[in-house]
Amino acid sequence: MLKAAVKFAIGIGAGLLASAVSAAPTGDRVAGHVPKQNQQARQAPIGDSKSPPANRWWSPGEGTPLAPLVPYPDSFGQVGVLNAAGAIETRGHPFFEPIGTNGRACVSCHQPANAMSLSVEMIQRRWHETQGKDPIFAPIDGMNCPDLPPGDPKSHSLLLERGLFRIFLPWPPKAADGSSIDPEFTIEVVRDPTGCNLHPKYGLKSANPMVSVYRRPRVAANTKYFTHNGFGVFSFIGKNGLPATRDPETGLPSSMNILSDARQPTLKTQAVEAAITHLQFDGKLDEERLARIVAFESQLYTAQVSHNVAGSLIEADAPPGLGVYNLAKGREGLLGNNVTNFVFPMSEAWQKPAPSSDPEIQRRNEMRASIARGHDVFMFRTFWIKDAMHLNTVGLGNPTKRTCSTCHGMHMMGMDIVNGWMDLGTTNLPWAREEPLNPWNERKPQMPLFKITCKAGVPPHPFLGRVFYTQDPGRGLISGKCNDVGAIVMQQFRGLAARAPYFSNGSAGSLRELVDFYDRRFNIGYTDQERDDLINFLSAL
Amino acid sequence: MNRLLVTLALVGSAGAVMAAAPPANHRNFVACPIVRDTSTVPCWLAEYEGETYYLTIQTDVSAPVNPPWLGHKVLVEGTISDEPRICGGIVLKPVALSVMQELDGSCNTMLPAEERYNLPFEPPRPPGPSKGRLAFGDPVTQPKSEQLETSKSFELRYEFDSLVMFRHAQPLQQIFEYARQSNATRVQITGYRAASLLSNGQLMQEDKQIGRRRAEQVAELLRGAGLTEAQYEVKWQDEAQRAKGVADAAMRRVQVVVSR
Repeated sequence: MLKAAVKFAIGIGAGLLASAVSAAPTGDRVAGHVPKQNQQARQAPIGDSKSPPANRWWSPGEGTPLAPLVPYPDSFGQVGVLNAAGAIETRGHPFFEPIGTNGRACVSCHQPANAMSLSVEMIQRRWHETQGKDPIFAPIDGMNCPDLPPGDPKSHSLLLERGLFRIFLPWPPKAADGSSIDPEFTIEVVRDPTGCNLHPKYGLKSANPMVSVYRRPRVAANTKYFTHNGFGVFSFIGKNGLPATRDPETGLPSSMNILSDARQPTLKTQAVEAAITHLQFDGKLDEERLARIVAFESQLYTAQVSHNVAGSLIEADAPPGLGVYNLAKGREGLLGNNVTNFVFPMSEAWQKPAPSSDPEIQRRNEMRASIARGHDVFMFRTFWIKDAMHLNTVGLGNPTKRTCSTCHGMHMMGMDIVNGWMDLGTTNLPWAREEPLNPWNERKPQMPLFKITCKAGVPPHPFLGRVFYTQDPGRGLISGKCNDVGAIVMQQFRGLAARAPYFSNGSAGSLRELVDFYDRRFNIGYTDQERDDLINFLSAL
Repeated sequence: MNRLLVTLALVGSAGAVMAAAPPANHRNFVACPIVRDTSTVPCWLAEYEGETYYLTIQTDVSAPVNPPWLGHKVLVEGTISDEPRICGGIVLKPVALSVMQELDGSCNTMLPAEERYNLPFEPPRPPGPSKGRLAFGDPVTQPKSEQLETSKSFELRYEFDSLVMFRHAQPLQQIFEYARQSNATRVQITGYRAASLLSNGQLMQEDKQIGRRRAEQVAELLRGAGLTEAQYEVKWQDEAQRAKGVADAAMRRVQVVVSR
């Protein structure tokens, strides 16, 4: 009853507040696209929710202190969450409290047990524990589209099967000051399995035109690395010469590596948007709460801390690239694609372990050696990288003979050290994962599909031409640039074992599928040994 | 023959008229690039009138000459050097390369490594991690504080028919920093349209609007980066008829004068 009353009050106030926000987007330091999102967030229903405590699950407002180091089991061992500032009191903390109207907190989708992201295994478990009532299943973005029948797994299929939340972005794109950007391409919905892109209230042709795409929650930890102001962060983006987005408070350029489309320049502006869109918070978070959220995220580190076979990753003699302690003391803003820093430094002891007569130690050492070999595959195994927008176009030529670490060069993170969006084909056809259509497959495509047409007068996409198809236009939805369509800011490599599936659209269900994607995409031809070593390496990060 | 026809058609679409030929030691032509693997980094070649020319090798983002792209033709504007052949090709040096914007699926030749074509030198950047530095220095380094003059001129050079791209980040940063440090009150921007005199005598002209678009884009980018206080004077000029087949690439430019 109370919830219904709140919803009614919000409904009444929506028009007024929306105009107020629209009128002063920059003065209030809200990014240009957020007022439109705010409108839709107010329109969406708020379902009944409950979030009872459960093993490994942090419920909003549960008030449990967060210890300085918390290990959680995962499929390859244990992931750890390190609070560099010491134990955190979560009661009353805005990251942990349900500060919006739908019962969620930030922690709902950034769970410590999942390396501050959210695994699909955890989502499914939570569905069964709460009969779909946990706030993560809120209609606004935990449903394929907000007005689908609640409680029906089909309404939440993208979240339940691929761990995807709906991200709704205004079309045409909005500049930082709220003005409309004239996009270089037209976008046509050719497949709308969720019903949201053609929806009269939530879709592209609604009164508040929005594109809905579906993405994984990113890791809300190790933030000093991907918000750095070091190598390659300047006023102009090293990949295309265009102005970098800037911190609205300091005016300084951002590394543009926080969100998968780089639409928010700082942790603070990201928190403002996330509160409005994901938590359905009514307005802009106050400075005090924003400061506490940013401070929490800035002292938090997550990485694998033990490996089922390789053993502890946080002992004093563990390789300097592994474990949460090394991560906390590592240097940010450093290019690791070289032999002086390395992306994830290994150690000689792991590369060439001494033989042992103890079979347990021998088995451990063999795994350590495999992880070290996987590191070498990552750093030194060359292959031809072809038709990757924002990689082949930045002076390396197409194709370029390079290695994984060419793109994944950020020291300790494996992200791109510079403004990090690229199109590897995870969302653009023909490389994106699509459901095979044939008379024997009853599964239907789950992802939306958009037809992109680059307008006359602008160059075609360098590798896909003037007309092509995508499941998620990525950075193109923000910049309006044809060659940004499908370009996605790469994710960090830490805590991978705890947070499958991978890629922004959850299209790789496991580390093997992730490696296989690259193998297929770039015709690498990994041997079984290389593939296994690479997977072991990734599982230890 | 087919390749020649395709080239002529492309040249025609870019606006070609007949003019005098460039000097004999210059090769200006449009062709499909060819990539040849080696035991280290790949080298890039192109064929013209039955001869193979060496264009460049793969290095990194700091390279003064960047490799072209398969899937696109490339405009080659180079001078025949007296260096020994590299990867089987006559060395063009200096050389300017412009990737043609439209896709061309016929440009797909990848040649395998052959012992006889291995590089006769160690490349500045191996095909994997560097030795700790970029091959030709940091391309986007923060400009050092310098003595501020009353006005200073900067130049951005462009590929054929193109606007700002990755390699302009550094010069734009330099302009931006200089303007900020000098409290610039005026930014004069002139965009140029140019042409390339090809070895076959055709004059390949840029898009008619490209000079204006270049100038306006640079102004927009500087403003977008936060240089909003200065007064902008934006103009453009057509220099398509100045092409001589020598250093034509240098005519595709934007000149920026920053004044206090």
